[in-house]
Amino acid sequence: MRRAILGVILLFAAPLALAQTIKIAILGPMSFVQGEHHWNGAEMARDEINKAGGVNVGGKRRQIELVRADTNEIQSVPDATNAIERVITRDKVDFLVGGFRSEAVLAMQEVAMDNKKLFLGVGAAHSKLGLNVEQNYDRYKYWFRVSPTKDVDLARTLFAVLGSIGQQIRNDLKTDTPKVAILAEKAVWTEGLVAAAQKNLPALKMEVVGTWQPSAVATDVTAELSAIDRAGAHIVFTMLSGPVGISVGRQMGERGMKAVAWGINVEGQKEEFWQAAAGKAQFVSTLDTYSEVEYTPKTIPFVRAYQARFKKAPTYTAATYDAIMLLKDAIEKVGSTNADQIVAYIEKVEHVGTGSVATFDKRHDLVWAVGKTSGIAVQWQDGKKVPFWPPNVKGMQPFKMPAR
Amino acid sequence: MLQDILVTGLVNGGVYALLAIGFSLIFGVARIVNIAHTAFYMLAAYCFYTLLTRGGLGFALAGVVAVVSVVALSLLCYRLVIEPVREHESAVLISTIALGLIFQELMLVAYGGHFLGVPSTIDGVVRLAGVSIPYQRLLILVVAAVMLAATWFFLYHTRTGLAIRATANDLEVANLMGMNVHRVAMVTVGFSVGLAAIAGVVATPVTSVHPHMWLDPLVIMLAIVVLGGLGSLKGSVIGALIIAYVEAITVFTLPEGAHLKGVAALGIMVAVLLARPEGLFGVAFEEER
Amino acid sequence: MYLLRRTWSEIRSEILILPSRSLVLVWAIGLLALPLVYSDAYVLRILTMTCLFAIFAASWDLLAGYTGQVNFGHALFFGAGAYGSALVSLKLGVSPWLTVWLGAAVAALFGYLSGFLCLRLRGSYLSLATLAFPLIGLGLLFAFPDFSGGELGVSGVQRLIVGATANYYVACVSMLVIVFGLWMIADSRFGIVLHAIRDDEVAARASGINTPRYKLAVFALSAAAAGFAGALFAHYLRVAGPSTLEVALSFQVVIWGIFGGVATIYGPVVAVFILYPLTEWLGSFKEFGELRLLIFAVIVLLVLLFMPRGLSPWVRDKIEAQCPRCKQRNGAWRKICRLCSAPLQAQVARAQRLVGHQ
Repeated sequence: MRRAILGVILLFAAPLALAQTIKIAILGPMSFVQGEHHWNGAEMARDEINKAGGVNVGGKRRQIELVRADTNEIQSVPDATNAIERVITRDKVDFLVGGFRSEAVLAMQEVAMDNKKLFLGVGAAHSKLGLNVEQNYDRYKYWFRVSPTKDVDLARTLFAVLGSIGQQIRNDLKTDTPKVAILAEKAVWTEGLVAAAQKNLPALKMEVVGTWQPSAVATDVTAELSAIDRAGAHIVFTMLSGPVGISVGRQMGERGMKAVAWGINVEGQKEEFWQAAAGKAQFVSTLDTYSEVEYTPKTIPFVRAYQARFKKAPTYTAATYDAIMLLKDAIEKVGSTNADQIVAYIEKVEHVGTGSVATFDKRHDLVWAVGKTSGIAVQWQDGKKVPFWPPNVKGMQPFKMPAR
Repeated sequence: MLQDILVTGLVNGGVYALLAIGFSLIFGVARIVNIAHTAFYMLAAYCFYTLLTRGGLGFALAGVVAVVSVVALSLLCYRLVIEPVREHESAVLISTIALGLIFQELMLVAYGGHFLGVPSTIDGVVRLAGVSIPYQRLLILVVAAVMLAATWFFLYHTRTGLAIRATANDLEVANLMGMNVHRVAMVTVGFSVGLAAIAGVVATPVTSVHPHMWLDPLVIMLAIVVLGGLGSLKGSVIGALIIAYVEAITVFTLPEGAHLKGVAALGIMVAVLLARPEGLFGVAFEEER
Repeated sequence: MYLLRRTWSEIRSEILILPSRSLVLVWAIGLLALPLVYSDAYVLRILTMTCLFAIFAASWDLLAGYTGQVNFGHALFFGAGAYGSALVSLKLGVSPWLTVWLGAAVAALFGYLSGFLCLRLRGSYLSLATLAFPLIGLGLLFAFPDFSGGELGVSGVQRLIVGATANYYVACVSMLVIVFGLWMIADSRFGIVLHAIRDDEVAARASGINTPRYKLAVFALSAAAAGFAGALFAHYLRVAGPSTLEVALSFQVVIWGIFGGVATIYGPVVAVFILYPLTEWLGSFKEFGELRLLIFAVIVLLVLLFMPRGLSPWVRDKIEAQCPRCKQRNGAWRKICRLCSAPLQAQVARAQRLVGHQ
């Protein structure tokens, strides 16, 4: 008799156990580093949530299921739109997270908005993605950019750090106006930054000795570096997202240049950078997102767990972890997976993630603030990425310069 | 600045010449437009990287093994993939493109899309006439010069070289004269890919190694052989120097236009073709009827 | 009533008489009727892209296969159409239905220019020079980022029409019309002249044909078709970026063209319809999705080993035979030619195939 009752209970419990999962698609170039970190960050979030019992959707507990979508966006934009269409139509996912190449994400955004699916961007910094939200709210409101901050906000962080490096140079070298050489790859995203640098640096009491713009895939920057040497620059202000960042790091070291490189160097954010520059990129510094410092209370545990599980440090695309945690928080507070309600919630929330303390403005971009969403600055010293800014965060170490 | 331009142009020209000569030879002898030529350059680079960093071999040994294995692979590919479809020009073309893609994807799968760095063979810089030149670049220059001299010697002072030149000149008559055209073609393929492999081994310490590294040199190399004239070795060397100098001048004189160096080089090529449709030293083949 | 009977007799005598043409009819009807039975948005998207690339590939074949001007930079025309249509519709607010034609016209202009630059070039020189054109175009695009959007391209481009099925029909009907039109052109006297130019330009000129004019015309025509496909592409994805000018795209169309069979117009279309959905389908597998380009290249290599003239000539030779007397095609099962009643001996037909006559 007891057995029969147990059997009946189990019969009713079984469908509950097999209850619907929440499907989240992770979109990224999976054969490349960026996609790899997209997926890793997402896996960490999924495992953590599912182990704790899943997401509480209005009383029912549902597990998270990840759908891996290789967009191949670096090599082909139509592949990316095909992939996002496939996960929406075939796999019937509830949410979309990821993206990397801005041209492809612009196209993917269109498909997501057509289907009124929430799309959390983790990787593409182009402002147009947010501008669309502002100009046509009803269509584009389902887009949020969880990481990184939009490209124009990067400038604010860059200048803040540049100011502090400039001050260090003034103290060490007893020179009043440090000389800055701008080395920015020729690309649309650097246009505004270059113009802002040329305008603002004199106000920061620094002299711009020249602007050099190699191609993003240049393998030889001898010309630029010789000229920078001749101009006697103290700081090389870099805005590099392509492999030219590796060439710059390596050749600066090979030439034994006395100037120090600071700026955006996306290749320099990766662990493989030191090896790629054949161990020569000493003192190259760049904006970054993750390091083993207490940027937020969650950063250090996340970075340590990531390192332990995947044997490498996370890059900024691993912020898919934050995106999924944000979704979980939103779903639980709103009590359903309804996209419109979640949009309204995210617009107002302050989410403490691992890479940032995020709030969103009317373009659904991150609101910039030092110590909250500004990111950190790291410098390569003897094969390790050492964080040095913002100085008030626990774990920061001093910035070093080449011996003169 | 002038010294910078001179040196940079010379070094880059050397590497380009190594690639262009090989490509030109294969075209002249076997009438094959080998799109996968720079893919072999990439394979040699990866092989060298692996032997050096993961195999722990010394530079010389790693270099030799890399070159030999890539040459062997190229001969195998020629035998299996190109020879069966020799008569159909368009099929050969696509086969070489497909080969290049296959090598690219294999490297992508095996090593990932990361950029890998090969340590320099010789470290340090030397200051010459106000320009600091890393020793590695001097090494490239020396190796390029030596290989060019070796090629010249091979082609003009050995019997095999004579056979190669004869086959390039007139395939049917060479066949009638008793030269084994198939074997000549294979030797040519091996030698040319060997040149490309040496370029890969010696030039990669100054660039990064990644699965798409064969595409940029491919375009430059095609521009050079077209500029110099397909099938002409003198044209390839001179074309390589011209293109390298155009690039160097663009980069040094226009710091904000550095990204246009590729466009400038290609523009020069188109301009030359308008004036001389067969390239500077090209031989116009009468179409076989 | 008379029209119906006339249409039916035309269909029976012109189309059903040959297996290859019947296949084409079935395929066309199938494409048009597909959304009525199966309207999965993903499948429709794949087929829409396939149709656009089919236009692109067919236009390449007219230029490279028929006229012998093997163009390694065909993506220039695709990109010119995409950017032209996108920029005009975005900056001047003109309706996309008009700007696609404008995009095709812009591409035709580029085609004319390319043709002009290539007039004196032959063979591999022409191929490699055309390879340079899209690269120069890319460099110029990057040099004027305010106008062209640099590496991000032009985004927020207006849709032609909303809805997966509607877009599919636009692409499908355009493809059928353009491909059929190109085939009619190739099959006409114009096409014969193009063949002559490919086979022996000197002899053609000696016969009094103004070959430069024909070459310029075919460059412009081929470019216009490719540009039209590019414009439709831009309005479909709502983004026109530098990826439309990539070397990879130019190589891709060369592969499609030769894989499907040059100098046929329908060959590249077949190749696109087989290869593009295949690579997409391969890409949807978790385990080896990232290997899809590798598998694609291996398939191309293997097929070329067995069918060096391309896929469709090989298939066609299996289902049809050529009459030794009047050179017209017949179903392979026939004993005598349908036109001249000459005996269709299988051996004779096979000999013809080996020599390579059409």
